[in-house]
Amino acid sequence: MPFDLPLSAALRKARWKVKIREKENREPPHVTIIRGTQAWRINLRTGEFMDRHPDPADVPGEIIVHIKTEENWTLLCQQWDEKYPTNPVHEPDDNDGE
Amino acid sequence: MTTTENEPVILKTKPVPAGRQMFLLDKTKRRPERFSLLHPQVVSTAGGLRDSLARATKDTLWVSYEKDLTEALLKSVLGPPRSLGKALLIHALNPLSIPVLTSCFKRFASASNKEFLPPDELAEALQAVNSSNLFIGGSVDPTNRTITLWRGNLEPLTVPFSAFEKSGDGIEPNFDRFSVTDSGQTVRFGDYEAAADAILYEFDPEYRRHVSKERRQSERTFGASLRRLRKQRGLRREDFEPKVAAKTIARIEQGLVHRIQKDTLNSIADRLQVRPEEIETY
Repeated sequence: MPFDLPLSAALRKARWKVKIREKENREPPHVTIIRGTQAWRINLRTGEFMDRHPDPADVPGEIIVHIKTEENWTLLCQQWDEKYPTNPVHEPDDNDGE
Repeated sequence: MTTTENEPVILKTKPVPAGRQMFLLDKTKRRPERFSLLHPQVVSTAGGLRDSLARATKDTLWVSYEKDLTEALLKSVLGPPRSLGKALLIHALNPLSIPVLTSCFKRFASASNKEFLPPDELAEALQAVNSSNLFIGGSVDPTNRTITLWRGNLEPLTVPFSAFEKSGDGIEPNFDRFSVTDSGQTVRFGDYEAAADAILYEFDPEYRRHVSKERRQSERTFGASLRRLRKQRGLRREDFEPKVAAKTIARIEQGLVHRIQKDTLNSIADRLQVRPEEIETY
C-alpha cells in the first residue's frame, strides 16, 4: 500500500495528503503532496520541489516543515527505499567521483 | 502560508465556459448538490428530456446515473444524427446501445457507479484545468487482462495488467478491487496505488513528450539549472572535459550527485562563464 504520512487534523480536513505511491520506479526518489486535482513532488535526494507548476508556494509551510523533520524525512527515505530498492535515495557512490 | 480548519479549500478549476451546459440525469435528492461546481441542470423524468434535447449542443456534457433515463434519451433522438456533446454513463450499459451512443455523442464513457470517482471529486476532475491528465473512472477486463481508464476529457486509455508491477515492499495490485481516488490522480487496485501521471507517462506518447519538455524547462534542481545553462551556452557535456568528465556532468544533471566537489563546481562554472553560485539561478 502507499505510504501515507500522517498529517494534522486541520491539514487532513483541508484535503492535504503526503504519499509515496506505487509505480514510480522510473522517477527520481520523491514524495508527493496531494490536494484535490493538484500534486507537488519533493525530491528526496535534494529536498527541493521538482516542478515549478503547480506553484510550490501554494503548499502550506507547515507541511514542508512536517515533511522535513529529521524523523519524517528519514522515514520517507526508508519507505521509498523499501518500495524501490533498485532506485534508492542514497546511492553507494553519491559524490561526483572527481 | 498556513492552513487552518476554517480556511476554504481553493480549487484550481476553470470557469464553466459560456454556452457549456451540463445535464444530470438523476433521481436522487442529494447527489445534484455534489455536482454544484458544474452547475447541473437536473433531469429526473423522461418528460424533462425533451426540453434538454432541444437545448443540447456539441459542447453539452450529459452525466447519467439512471439507465432508464439514458434509454429514454436515446429513444427521443429523432431525425438525422447530430452531436449532443459528451456523455458519462454511470450505470450498466446495454452493449446494443453502443452504436446509437456513438452516433449521438462525440465521446462517451461508461462504467458502474463504484468504478467512477464519487460525485464531488468527479465534478472537480471534470472541471479541472488538467482534466485530461486525471482519471475519472475505468473498467477492468479480466479476460484480456487490461484496464480501460477514462480521462477527464472522456478519452479512454487502455493499459495492460502487466504495467502494474509488484513494488519492492511486496505490494501487488488486486485487479478485483479497482477504484480511482485523489480526485483522479491515483488509480487503486486494493492496497496498490498507482500515480495517474506515471501511467500516462508510460502509455501516452503525447503526454510524455509534453511532460518531459515541461520538466526540463521547469525543474528546480541544481542539475536542471546546470542543464538549462549548458544548453543556453550551446555546450555539449563533453565540452567540460578534460577537467570534468561528461559522465559526471550527466550524473549532476540527473540529480544523482549529492556533494559536488569544489574543484568540480569551479571548473563547471568557469566553462559556463558564470560564478559557481550563479548556476542554480538559471
